[in-house]
Amino acid sequence: MIAGLGLIVGGIAAGVFGSLLGLGGGILIVPLLTLGFGLPLREAVGVSLVSVIVTSSASAGVYLQRHVANLRLGMTLELFTAMGALIGGLLAFLLDERTLAALFAALLVYAAISMLRRPGGATEAEPGAGYVYRIQRSGLGYVGSVGAGVISALLGVGGGLVKVPVMHLVMGVPLRVATATSNLMIGITASASAIIYLFRGGIDPYVAGPVAVGVFLGASVGSRTAHRIDLRVLRTLFVLVLTYTAFEMIRKALLL
Amino acid sequence: MNASRSTPTTACAAGLAGTTPDLDRAIARLLAFGTYLAIGLLTLGVLLMAVAGQSPFSPTSFPSFDAARLPQDLAAGRAEGFLWLGLVTVIATPSARVIAALVGYARAGDRRMVAVSLGILAVIATSVAVGLLFSGSAT
Repeated sequence: MIAGLGLIVGGIAAGVFGSLLGLGGGILIVPLLTLGFGLPLREAVGVSLVSVIVTSSASAGVYLQRHVANLRLGMTLELFTAMGALIGGLLAFLLDERTLAALFAALLVYAAISMLRRPGGATEAEPGAGYVYRIQRSGLGYVGSVGAGVISALLGVGGGLVKVPVMHLVMGVPLRVATATSNLMIGITASASAIIYLFRGGIDPYVAGPVAVGVFLGASVGSRTAHRIDLRVLRTLFVLVLTYTAFEMIRKALLL
Repeated sequence: MNASRSTPTTACAAGLAGTTPDLDRAIARLLAFGTYLAIGLLTLGVLLMAVAGQSPFSPTSFPSFDAARLPQDLAAGRAEGFLWLGLVTVIATPSARVIAALVGYARAGDRRMVAVSLGILAVIATSVAVGLLFSGSAT
C-alpha cells in the first residue's frame, strides 16, 4: 500500500507543478514512474496519457467557460494532432525502450530550454468573449499539429511544448489563448493514442488509477495557489529537475 | 478551410478565431461531469485496492482490458472493475465532447465544423479499430 500512496503523492506533485507552469503532468510522470518506480518506459507512457487527459478535461472546462480557449481553432487543429497521435501510437510499439528513453531525454532538454526562455510575468490581458485576433499560416499550424500528436503518443506528454509555440509564433494566436486551446486539444490527442495503449495491454490499471487521482488533486491545488507562488523560483527549480531527469534518461538510454 | 485566411475576424465570425459562447458553456459542463465521474470511479477503485491490500506492483503482469468482464468485476465489487471503468470514462470524455460539439454545430448549420467533428471522430474510430486489431499483442 506504501507504493500506492507513493504513486498518489507523485501524481499530486506532477499535477501541482504541471498546473503552476502550464505544462501537462506527463513530462514529470514518465520519469517518476520509470526512474522512481522502475516501470518500463512504454507502460509509463500509457499511464501518463491517462493523466494528461484528466488534467486536460478538468482545466479545459474552466478555460471554455472563461472564453479563453478557442473551441473552433482547437477542434480544427486536433483533427491533425489526433492523426499524429494515431501514427505515434503505432510507432510506440515498434521502437525499443532505449530509443524512447533517448527521445524523452531530448524532449526534457527542449522543455528546460523553453522554460528558461519564457518571459518573466504575464504579458497579456486575459481575453474574453469579445476578444479579436486573426489567424495566419494555418497550413503550417496543421503540419506542426501532426508533429505534436506524434510526440504526445510516443512520449506520453500533452504536446503543449510544440502546440503553444506553433499557435502563438506561427499562427499569431495570443499566448493565453494558445495555452488554453492547447490544453483543450490535449484530451483528444492523448485519447487517440491512449485507446491503442488500452487495447494493446499498455495501461496498468493498478498504477494508472492512483496516479490519475493524484494528478487531479495536484492540478486542483495548483490552479488555486498559482497566484500566491513566485513562479521565477518555481521555474528555476523545475529547470533543475528537468536537467537532472534528462541526465538520468540519457543514462537509462545508454545502459538499457 | 478558407475561413482561416488572415483576414481580421470578430469574435463571433465563422472563422477559426470566432468563439461560440453557448456551446463553450455546454461543453465545459460536459467535461466537468466526465472528469468528476471518472475521478469518482478511480478513487473508489483505489480505495478497494487499499481494502483488499492490493499493491500496484504486486502482480508482475497486470490484467489487460476486457470489456466483457467489466460487469462481473463491478458486480463483485472488485477494484479492477472500477479502475477500468474510470479509465474508460477518462479516455471517452474528450470524444463525448466532440460528439456534443458535432450536435451543436449541426444545429447551428455550421457545415465546416460538422465536417471537422466527423473527421476527429473518424480518427478516434480508426484508433479503436487499430487497437482491437492488435488487442493484447504487445508491451
